[in-house]
Amino acid sequence: MVTQTSLNYVPVVVAAIVSGTVLSLLFILAAVVAPKRRTMISAIPYESGIPPKGSTWKQINLRYYLFAVFFLVFDIEAVFLFPWALTYLGIGAIAFFEMVIFLGILFLGLVYAWKKGVLKWT
Amino acid sequence: MINDVNLNYLSPEIAMVALAIIIILGDLVIKNRQLLTLITFAGLLVPVMLTINLWGTTGESFNGALVVDQFALFFKFLVMFAVFIVILSSQDYLHRFTRYTGEYYGLILLSAAGMMLVAGTRELISMYLALELTTFSIVALAAFLKTKESTESAIKYLVLSAVTSAVMLYGIVLVFGLTGSTHFHGIAEWIGNSNVSSTSLILDSGTLGDGAIGFIGFLFILAGFGFKVATVPFHMWVPDVYEGAPTPITAYLSVASKAAGFAILLRVLYEVFQPIQPDWQLLIAVLAVISMFTGNLLAIVQSNIKRLLGYSTIAHAGYILIGVTVGNTLGQSGVLFYLAVYTITNLGAFASVIVISNLTNSEKTSDFIGIGRVAIFPAIVLTIALISLTGAPPTAGFIGKVYLFNAAVQSDYTWLAIVGVVNSVISAYYYWKVIRIMYQSSGASTDTSGDPNGNRVSASMNISLGIALVGILILGIAPDWILGFVENAVAIVQTTYPTA
Repeated sequence: MVTQTSLNYVPVVVAAIVSGTVLSLLFILAAVVAPKRRTMISAIPYESGIPPKGSTWKQINLRYYLFAVFFLVFDIEAVFLFPWALTYLGIGAIAFFEMVIFLGILFLGLVYAWKKGVLKWT
Repeated sequence: MINDVNLNYLSPEIAMVALAIIIILGDLVIKNRQLLTLITFAGLLVPVMLTINLWGTTGESFNGALVVDQFALFFKFLVMFAVFIVILSSQDYLHRFTRYTGEYYGLILLSAAGMMLVAGTRELISMYLALELTTFSIVALAAFLKTKESTESAIKYLVLSAVTSAVMLYGIVLVFGLTGSTHFHGIAEWIGNSNVSSTSLILDSGTLGDGAIGFIGFLFILAGFGFKVATVPFHMWVPDVYEGAPTPITAYLSVASKAAGFAILLRVLYEVFQPIQPDWQLLIAVLAVISMFTGNLLAIVQSNIKRLLGYSTIAHAGYILIGVTVGNTLGQSGVLFYLAVYTITNLGAFASVIVISNLTNSEKTSDFIGIGRVAIFPAIVLTIALISLTGAPPTAGFIGKVYLFNAAVQSDYTWLAIVGVVNSVISAYYYWKVIRIMYQSSGASTDTSGDPNGNRVSASMNISLGIALVGILILGIAPDWILGFVENAVAIVQTTYPTA
């Protein structure tokens, strides 16, 4: 029983070794082969293409936190929606109503936050 | 797989969650707090009715993840009763946070839904999710006062419960990896077939046997439950969280959360790990003994009434573990009965603590001097509740302890019963000290008597005190009806159901 259970992990171990080797090979190759040219511009932190302004160590408005939470909630919603969309036809009506209830509860959460003034930026 | 869904079995929990959402949203439009409270009480009738509607049915749904039986229904009633009393006795406490009444009720109801699910789950993942649902709401509730202590208690509860959750998840993973099932009956079947016995649990011939892996997983899961019911190696959070949290939430945490923890503990021990009972029986007995001694001995030195009651709940977890150790029908029904007794007693004690500490503006036991003549009714209820917690007749605690100790004696655990009795005697010291202080006539007049109508006790608080008082006495004098209840309820555990 023990050996059987352990054998199931062989593919996992192989995958770990292969991916580890390939990954470290890439890094080593990059370190050895790639030309190194440190200029002022290449040392600038990447901020979506816009030149960075001021120090990065500054206070961030707490309101961003609420928006982050909101983003997370609706991001998770999308994560649930994708597999649901794939299996929807196979399951039928109950899947539809389950998702409607789920979205409904999320919507009520949005209404709640709206009413509490979370979305107001003043 | 989706066709094995019987929403009827889930109806009390659905109603509970729906009520929570309605209350939270209702708080946005209803400015009258009284009206919101009324809606909560009226709405609470719906899950109660739905649970009564399920009474007598047994069956499972969601591929066995959810089960409805007398055992689960008993705990659902217990949790809803606790919610009812907690909301009633919150009325004299809500003035401390006027802003978030709806959220307060809503979170209590949400965590109650989690506890009700815990009692009715027979699958490890659902069990984990239900326990988390319970915990998260309580974390938010513990922080409600927004004082330093309140926030501290919430953070402590959150961090420690996250750590124990992780340990429990690891245990679940080990058990699943070994048995290939997260369903209780699947795991029990595997254990039954595998001839895992105490001998194979040892690290024989230098390799980890299946039994050892399974047992480590079992221990990890047990650690998770230990946190929920506050037994000794996992009790560190209790005093600080109990002291910092709002008093009604402390009451709720000490009864409902503990009841749910014991529900799932009993179910897992006796539905899943029954075949290896000899391996864990002594372990649970030892946990019981150290919980009783730690709780009772540390309670003696406490000066804050909430901390004192916190240590007392640790000791009571120890008493209840006696019944879990013994594990025959007598022991199991003893656990259920004791939980019912403990719930009503502790709710009464905390309700009167709310009133008294409102009057004295202090939670120190030494400030309770002479309160017996100022707040007559709350002092009487606290006295009866403390007598019941000690386990003296004619209160409910006496019958509960007799039941548990009798179960221990009958199954050759006499030493455990003796330890329990010794601990009851120790506990009498600190419980009765509080009673003595309350009725002491001190030379210095209490400054509270000068302000008679500054803190008037509300009607709902008096009702909850009355219910607790009557409950403690009825369960102490005529416990037959509920004994029939609990014996019926535990007869269900250990039997396997036909899958729906």
